[in-house]
Amino acid sequence: MSESFRLSAEQFAQLFEQLSTAYLLAGPKRIAGAGRFSGTDLVRYAFLKSADELELHEKSWFSPKELVFPPDETLFYFNGQQFTEATLPDDHEIIVFLRPCDINGIDRLDRMFLENAGVVDPYYKRRRERLHYFMIECRESFENCFCVSMQANRTSDYEVALRFEENSVQVEVCGQKFVDLFARAGEKAEFKPEFVSENPVRVELPTEETMPPEIFNDKFWDEYDSRCIACGRCNTSCVTCSCFTTTDLFYGDSRQCGERRRVWDGCHLDGFCDMAGGHTFRKDKGERMRFKTFHKIYDFRKRFGVDMCVGCGRCDDVCPEYISFSNCINKLSAKLKGGL
Amino acid sequence: MSDRNPYLPSPVKIIGLRQETDCEFTLTVAAERAITPGQFFQVSLPRIGEAPISVSNCGPDWIEFTIRAVGRLTNAVQGLRPGDNLFIRGPYGTGFPIDRFRQQRLVIVAGGSGVAPVRPLIDRVVRGELPVKSLDLIVGFKNRSSILFSDDLAAWKEKSRLVLTIDKPEEGWNGETGLVTEHIKKMQFTDFDDLQVVVVGPPVMMKFATAEFRLLKVPSERIWVSFERLMSCGLGKCGHCKIDYTYVCVDGPVLNYSHAAGLID
Amino acid sequence: MSLDLNRKKVTKNAYRITKRRNYSAIRIRVPGGHLDASLISTIAAIAEKFGDGTMHITTRQGFEIPNIPFERISEVNAALAPVIDKLQVKNGVVIETVGAGYPGAGMRNISACIGSRVCPFANADTTALAQRLEGELFPNDFHVKIAVTGCPNDCIKAHMQDFGIISICEPVYSYDDCIGCEACVKACSRKVTGALSMRDGKVYRDERRCIGCGECVLACPTAAWTRRPGNLYRLLIMGRTGKKNPRLAMPFLDRVSEDVVCQVIRNTIAYIDRHILRCLPKEHIGYIVDRTGLEVFKQEVLAGISFNKGARVAKTMQWPGYHTLNDANFKLIKES
Repeated sequence: MSESFRLSAEQFAQLFEQLSTAYLLAGPKRIAGAGRFSGTDLVRYAFLKSADELELHEKSWFSPKELVFPPDETLFYFNGQQFTEATLPDDHEIIVFLRPCDINGIDRLDRMFLENAGVVDPYYKRRRERLHYFMIECRESFENCFCVSMQANRTSDYEVALRFEENSVQVEVCGQKFVDLFARAGEKAEFKPEFVSENPVRVELPTEETMPPEIFNDKFWDEYDSRCIACGRCNTSCVTCSCFTTTDLFYGDSRQCGERRRVWDGCHLDGFCDMAGGHTFRKDKGERMRFKTFHKIYDFRKRFGVDMCVGCGRCDDVCPEYISFSNCINKLSAKLKGGL
Repeated sequence: MSDRNPYLPSPVKIIGLRQETDCEFTLTVAAERAITPGQFFQVSLPRIGEAPISVSNCGPDWIEFTIRAVGRLTNAVQGLRPGDNLFIRGPYGTGFPIDRFRQQRLVIVAGGSGVAPVRPLIDRVVRGELPVKSLDLIVGFKNRSSILFSDDLAAWKEKSRLVLTIDKPEEGWNGETGLVTEHIKKMQFTDFDDLQVVVVGPPVMMKFATAEFRLLKVPSERIWVSFERLMSCGLGKCGHCKIDYTYVCVDGPVLNYSHAAGLID
Repeated sequence: MSLDLNRKKVTKNAYRITKRRNYSAIRIRVPGGHLDASLISTIAAIAEKFGDGTMHITTRQGFEIPNIPFERISEVNAALAPVIDKLQVKNGVVIETVGAGYPGAGMRNISACIGSRVCPFANADTTALAQRLEGELFPNDFHVKIAVTGCPNDCIKAHMQDFGIISICEPVYSYDDCIGCEACVKACSRKVTGALSMRDGKVYRDERRCIGCGECVLACPTAAWTRRPGNLYRLLIMGRTGKKNPRLAMPFLDRVSEDVVCQVIRNTIAYIDRHILRCLPKEHIGYIVDRTGLEVFKQEVLAGISFNKGARVAKTMQWPGYHTLNDANFKLIKES
């Protein structure tokens, strides 16, 4: 069951303000001058003070996964031989404005952190439980998007869906939690969100049957040996990359007190598979590309029944060497069709 | 969430320390855990870090870890003494399929520090807790000074056909020499019905040893290997040990070769 | 009629004496070396109509049109009006009669690397700063060379100028966004000064060693390093080539704002005016400083400047270079 409403931009701004008293609101935000190159902005997920901080015209460089899986998270503190579990600084619930691909992306994270091996990751869970999805309707693709091919362009997993128009906002509200608020703020309307149904970028996935083991060591991957510079941007910008490393640190003057944290890691980064004693798996960048590619469009599906990649295209947006993941998938499929 | 937080380690007291070789040592800690041979723990020291270490033996109220001092953590652990605390969580992973080994002809090939994870398995057989039809052991080390568990090896010899080999001849060494693969070659199998083969060691050794057994027509399903990978969680979360769709920390470290053979890092 | 020329006047008008009697060459100022492509045709037309149909691209990013008869100077000046309007007047240069050519030629063209309009390394829009300086300093009769470069790679060779302006940034670190991948640490130690180091999985910046190049910002895959808003500069002074004592410009001010840079250069022009030896045809700024001493220079050019927070000044200065007197050091190589 859902109800729909129309709010003027002003009414929406007021509602936003009202929501801010009870919730933290997060969404893509433009941070002036924080881009990689001087004089460029950075669009990333951040907490928003007002509705006009919501950046709707540019894809965010990083994904909303930071809200459930921050780049750096303290697991516990140690004081001598005692451990104290890290608590969250507050227990606010979070409303996050995000697009369907990212909702699907977080679904992939759920499978890793909440389901894999039957273990629930408590740090992920406590952040995940406080999220409320306000879905930004996405009817047109940004550059490099291929969500349709990845079947991640649609979702029904949201509490509120929003269409932002020139001077108004149309919303569909599902469930009871937010209905009254929106009903009071705006007037009844007929609105159901639409989903992008075609992207300029399409990928054709190789099927399991056409994937011979020989492709693992095929020369196909060699071009990435010299093209990839192992900067890890494809991993850090990806909504579904979930790998991490734990590190310990101790506080300046103390030999007894410190903490254990986990930080993002990525399969393209050096050191990801270094063993104590010096052995390294996947030394070549091409092997890393192969590892990532198969994980995103093959291994994950084998384990969880759905592809990991949601086609948000951020890896293509951010690669400084212009390596295109969607092109890689298509080249791989073409090669496999032609036979090795 | 405290009571169920799987990332929080528990302090355990070190009750024994034994130097095995120049760079390997065995720590015994007081802890009661139900462990299947082949499983591992995430062992840590606050401020230094955490690493997966396989159980090299265990009893009802003690666990042994045999550690090679090659990394930041393992070097720091080397400095510990009985009475100090070590921090552990586990046991993790899938160990050896003990029940499938019952009343079988068991062949175990282990190389170098790969002897550690199979030691509790061998011990169960030697102590009579795991009855088998026969036990063949091929244990290889690089050289004389890297031989681990000398006392155990003597005890194992009583209850098994043991081949102890070092890679190259050495002065004062009268025993077997050559890589384990050369000793596998000498084995003969006429049927495989009740045969189970375990191969554990460095990646290259496992690759060639399993290949030898395949040449001897041993079916893949009857060969078991144990993988060692970098891990940050032991819980199937951190992603470091993933190969293909397999997570070594939960699906392994002990894997049937029919599965393991297809895994390419 | 024989040519009766006020040489000083034509030189000031950016024409020079050339080897060929009765023929001159004019230098076109292109601040920052950047111009509308359409202006090229205007300049080319001058070369074709008044010169020999060729143009020279100068080391300072201007153009020099050779083989212009002295007697056609006023026609050339009239033809130059749209160029001067676009490149000087529009940048704030006050010129009484635009059709009378350049009102000065002492201060050389202010050159700049391509800057942040194109280059990923550049910390600032060097073209815009060169154009701002053109507006503030030109016309000026003193022989001063200024160049602006976008990062300490110094592609424009700011180290060879009287004023070398290097655009830098102040990197800001977000502890929470850092994943300890060491990309910045590696970049800094491989390419720069090794100002960054790892401690407990986090990065520490030795502020005294950081030259503000921005490599850490470029390298970071999580945007844990960003540039603090607002442009900062390192100002190098008194570099030169020449027959006597070629030497590198050295850092004088660091982490100063654009306003400070511009003000210091303006003060320096006044300093030159007070101290230059007018008995010489021209005295180069570096030699004036050698003569008055660094302390006088410092006192006068820094007087009345409101410095931004974090600005730094060099405690002492030395200029690495060599005196051409040392040519006595050469010996003959036997022919083989």
